[in-house]
Amino acid sequence: MAILYTIISVCYYLIIAFITFVIARNLVKTKNFQEAILFSVMLMPFILRILRIK
Amino acid sequence: MYFHAGLILAVIAVSFGIAKALKLSVELSMLVAAVAAAIVHSGGAIPVRHLVEGSFTYLDVCLIFITATFFMNLIKESGGVAFLVRSIVTAFHKSRALCLFFLTLLLLIPGALTGSGATTVLTVGTLVGTVLTYMGISEKRVAAIIFICAAMSAAAPPVNLWAMMAAAGSNMPYVGFFVPLLVLSLAGSLFAMFFLGGKGKKVELSEALKELPAPPEKMNWVRVGIPFVVLIFLIMAGRIWPHSIPTLGLPFMFVVASIFAIFLSPKKLEILKIATNTINTLIPLVGIMIVVGILIQIMALSGARGLISLAVVTLPMWVLFAALWLILPVSEGLLQYAVAPLLGVPLILLFNMKGMDAIIALSAMAVMWPMGDILPPTAVVGRATVMELKFKGRYYKDFLKTSLIPMGFILLIATLFLIFSNELSFLVGG
Amino acid sequence: MTDRNLMIVKIVSTVLVGIALIISGIEFYNHRNFQEPVVIGPGVTSVKTLGDYYTRLKGTINDTNIYIIDSGVPGGTALVIGRTHPEEPAATLAAKILVENASLSKGRLIVAITANQSASRVTRPGDAYPMYYTIETPWGESKYRMGDRWSSPMDSWPDPEVYVHYPSGQLLAYMDIRNFNRTWPGRENGMITEQTNYAFMNLIRAEGVDVFIDLHEAELEYPVISTIVAHQKAADIAGLASMILTSTEFRIGMEFSPPSLHGLSHREVGDYSDAISLLFETPEPFLDRVRGITDEALLLTGKDEFVMTAGKYGLLYEKIDEKGWPIDVRVGRHCSTTLMVLELWSDFNPGKEVVVGGVPRYDEVVSNGTGFYFQDPSKAETENIYYE
Repeated sequence: MAILYTIISVCYYLIIAFITFVIARNLVKTKNFQEAILFSVMLMPFILRILRIK
Repeated sequence: MYFHAGLILAVIAVSFGIAKALKLSVELSMLVAAVAAAIVHSGGAIPVRHLVEGSFTYLDVCLIFITATFFMNLIKESGGVAFLVRSIVTAFHKSRALCLFFLTLLLLIPGALTGSGATTVLTVGTLVGTVLTYMGISEKRVAAIIFICAAMSAAAPPVNLWAMMAAAGSNMPYVGFFVPLLVLSLAGSLFAMFFLGGKGKKVELSEALKELPAPPEKMNWVRVGIPFVVLIFLIMAGRIWPHSIPTLGLPFMFVVASIFAIFLSPKKLEILKIATNTINTLIPLVGIMIVVGILIQIMALSGARGLISLAVVTLPMWVLFAALWLILPVSEGLLQYAVAPLLGVPLILLFNMKGMDAIIALSAMAVMWPMGDILPPTAVVGRATVMELKFKGRYYKDFLKTSLIPMGFILLIATLFLIFSNELSFLVGG
Repeated sequence: MTDRNLMIVKIVSTVLVGIALIISGIEFYNHRNFQEPVVIGPGVTSVKTLGDYYTRLKGTINDTNIYIIDSGVPGGTALVIGRTHPEEPAATLAAKILVENASLSKGRLIVAITANQSASRVTRPGDAYPMYYTIETPWGESKYRMGDRWSSPMDSWPDPEVYVHYPSGQLLAYMDIRNFNRTWPGRENGMITEQTNYAFMNLIRAEGVDVFIDLHEAELEYPVISTIVAHQKAADIAGLASMILTSTEFRIGMEFSPPSLHGLSHREVGDYSDAISLLFETPEPFLDRVRGITDEALLLTGKDEFVMTAGKYGLLYEKIDEKGWPIDVRVGRHCSTTLMVLELWSDFNPGKEVVVGGVPRYDEVVSNGTGFYFQDPSKAETENIYYE
């Protein structure tokens, strides 16, 4: 069971990492300055979770 | 304390208004309001930790609707949605009532799973809209049906974001909401469908099928059904054998169901592209949830949240019963999901204290809120509807006006649920 | 907007967010790793950790200190836990007073100051809690982590779709799988919070605990407040304690633990062990939803205009006035209630006495202040300092 918990937990970090990647890519690509600001703000919780800080 | 909290509320309102006047999006306007309030509260400093911490408030909820929408998009891209719509039309074109009934159910599924009405519009809205048009329903009525069913799908269980957020804020288990939410959302969506679409011409099957996209040849009930069966199985397994299987969580369940959808798809799916598109289309939603979290944190920090809560809980009950049907949708139009923790939590505490059934009361409110998704300034689901359906009429005079009677019906039954919450408490369960 | 300006916006917003992440990241990291010194009192005879009672917990974040104060004279054994919900500071501070001051003349007292370490190392998003609070002492300030009601998602992720309590099968809110007072009696192979309860149940059985006390605080909008919630096995003692305390020190009620409400310590510890189980609640206006400015001052003084207004409208289950509910009052209530329950237990159970000395009562804590009873770690021998 402990191994399964670890695998599932890792999957969650991968999901978060993927979402972070897509938001970051959108930040680079967007031509809209409002979107750019929003994307950078949206990154905050995802980055800190990946780093296991919060 | 009153002055300070009142000042903060004023700062929020003014800065939000100025930001909107400067044509900033709702999300950024809220962010500006939150930062301005934070600076005023802290006497010129920026409480950075609070701004960042607030962004975590709805992280788990965001994960649920991102993965759920990914799942629904896979079903759509694999041709599953087109297959379902064609199957319903083919099987029931001779019976208008049955056809409308099953189309209503189909419209409820995406929002029920994701908690987002916009997802319903984006995944099944256009296709169902096409069928409704071929059933002789006018353009404005089709748009109204799609909007109301989408709003009801967001309210439908298992995932109702307003109820989840308000329940979490009042330390109340999100348990027992299934039946009341189902009854209300089904009643509302069926009323809208039959009231607006009950009369019309018989479906011209061949014409309708010609207009609907053809699913891949190998698509069948097994291929479209198994991912849903897997999803339901995982949800049920977590309840039936909770201590024999590891804790999966809803996002992981959607990912597993998505894997089945990918393998069962008759055509090769561009997974990365679909995933990217999913997140792109959800950015307004994820963005607003993150910004709402920041705003709520700053309001809690400064006492503004307490002042609003106090104002709400000290209102006489008759005023609430008489006004909530208006207050909730209007506030939803203004603040989106932020209204659930802001107004929902104190209301739940008040209802609890007054001896009302909090689950029925919150279910009623959680069905009224999505009605506001057609109202400005946000109008998220309303805008998505007119965009997806390529609606050519006028937003207010055609689309909104046509939606008013079904909206009124839903708000009325929800208000009755509020007033008679104790009498309806037998609905609580699951 | 030109491409150049767009690029500038992107760079500026990314840099600002980056700076915010660095500043807040350091704060979050420091909070999670902040250590509170505890100077063990003369009565403490040994310090174990929870992992000693369930090896899988050894070395994890929830491998918390277990302080044992043994009189060496045969008698009963009591276990007191604080920080079940780390957002309730009076529980933490009262438990610490026991560890730093108690000396026993009969029986044993076991104390866990921080029952749920994980929850004590995270603050709740959306609620704007302060990260720390400080208590004035004769030798300076003593600083503590403010925590959350739930274990950190970093230690327990994901939450289930719905939390099904073990073993009753009762459905609870998904996040309550991280609520240490909804996961009793625990589960060996469960999530970390369930494992922590499981370890405590092992401790209760292994140490032969007779009296189990769980310290809490509650919002004034919550009906279970200023009371002792007792398992039916503890009803006599709780009822009598309530009567005596109300007539001699302060008003406190008594409630029976509902048999159908599962996962809570007052129900499950009593059901799944030989111990009698009790839970104490003091009023904490900081937790009320209608509270005003959320800061350390409110946490420690319990003074709030908005909560008072709610009281005037009859929306509260406990009184509040301009004096508020200061931390010393709340800590003092916990100290006196603990002492009273142990005195009554000892009276009713000859041969199983737990006789505690050195712990201040309500009046003393209120007049001297909580900090008066904390020892200065800078003047203590290193071997007497432990960290929470």
